[in-house]
Amino acid sequence: MSAPRLPLSTLMHGCMRSVLQQGSWNFERMQNLGFIYQLLPGLRRLYGPTLPAEVLQRHTEYFNTHPYMASWVAGTVLRLEEKQLAGETLPMDAATFRSMVMAPYAAMGDALFWGALRPLAAVVALLLAIQGVLWAPLMLLMIYNLPHLACRCGGWLFSYRQELASAELLQRLRLPDVAIRLKELTIILLGILCALLAARGCAHQEIAPSWGLALLPVVLIFTWMARRGVSSFVLVVMTTASLLGVALVF
Amino acid sequence: MVASYLTTGALAVFLGLDRVAVLQCMASRPLVAAPLTGWLLGVPMAGFEVGILLELLWLGRLPVGAVIPPDDTQVAIGATALALTMERLLGLHGMPAVILCVLVAIPLGKVGQYADTRARQANNRLAHLAVAAASAGDSNRIERLHLRGLGHFALAALFTCTGIVAGGTLLLYPLAPLLIGTVSETGLALQYSFTMIGAAVLLGTLNVNRGFFLFGAAFVATLLVIGLR
Repeated sequence: MSAPRLPLSTLMHGCMRSVLQQGSWNFERMQNLGFIYQLLPGLRRLYGPTLPAEVLQRHTEYFNTHPYMASWVAGTVLRLEEKQLAGETLPMDAATFRSMVMAPYAAMGDALFWGALRPLAAVVALLLAIQGVLWAPLMLLMIYNLPHLACRCGGWLFSYRQELASAELLQRLRLPDVAIRLKELTIILLGILCALLAARGCAHQEIAPSWGLALLPVVLIFTWMARRGVSSFVLVVMTTASLLGVALVF
Repeated sequence: MVASYLTTGALAVFLGLDRVAVLQCMASRPLVAAPLTGWLLGVPMAGFEVGILLELLWLGRLPVGAVIPPDDTQVAIGATALALTMERLLGLHGMPAVILCVLVAIPLGKVGQYADTRARQANNRLAHLAVAAASAGDSNRIERLHLRGLGHFALAALFTCTGIVAGGTLLLYPLAPLLIGTVSETGLALQYSFTMIGAAVLLGTLNVNRGFFLFGAAFVATLLVIGLR
């Protein structure tokens, strides 16, 4: 088996380009151009400045995964290309690997980053913001971007060096379970956030904080309505109209 | 005023690109985008308040696959710019004025979904051209085509923000003096309702077993602690 021979600078170049993964997102092939865009520095290093048409063709095919997880695919794909060029026998070629992992990687990334970490960072920052902490937005960026950047950069380097074994590592990390724990934490913080707002409303009306409990069923009814497909926009319109109506009447 | 609008446009592009096309470091979240806009436009508190009002509203809408969630980035930037406009044109400021700006910006944000869809459709053509470039072995052209996609997203962001600010100004100029009194009378209720609705919708989309129990327990326990203090 040949040793990885692409220099760190080339890998970092690919990693830097991964920030543009969705730069030309389109409905037909989704992230295909973003994917080949981050592979190109490495491919040029392997094949020389003029790339064979078949190499370009196989990496401009349909591609869609979570944008941060694309790094994990790209590193391994580049290593498989390198081994294929060296004439090694591979368990699967680069294109097969890419097609095979993009959907599971997307599911992991969507659940962890969009579904869990983003709400968590937002709710923590909101808890600070409603206390008047002006650097709350920075907290959101920090909580979110430490794991995000670690995933992007670490994914590129690790998946290039570990090739197919990188998929096993992702499996061992049990990211879906981590996502569920983060979601539970977010829900607890959401409860605290709503209670703080309710208590503040009670203080404004000069009534006991326990009256804030009356808001719990209201929130749960909104939740139920949201689950039934009522959009945030409709809920905002309904609530605003009701409150303005009450203000006008009384 | 012109400088303020140019700044708003630049921010709309810069933060709008973060939304889909570049990095996605969440600088496009309302809680970051609106305070930054407010700070640069000289209305920092208005920006901060807009961010708090909008942050949770569409957080549960995941940008997965071909799904295009409402453009809360441009709604946040646009509402902050509207707050500045109302202050300069009508002398309205404070929380009621901010709430009015947000209420007008939210429906106008629908423009964002339309613009984003058009940008992605325009990128379809780039994908076709790239396939042809790949067949010709021209990797430099593929890179250029990819980067051209950024232009489409930037234009979409600018178009959305312009629509929100221009449409919002046209609506608020006659309506704001009529509504500001009623909005003020709702007190904190209207202000907090945005966050409560956002929290409720997010709770509905987080989809966790025991979610209602965890939320309810945290809610009740927090109120008890506050009540006992």
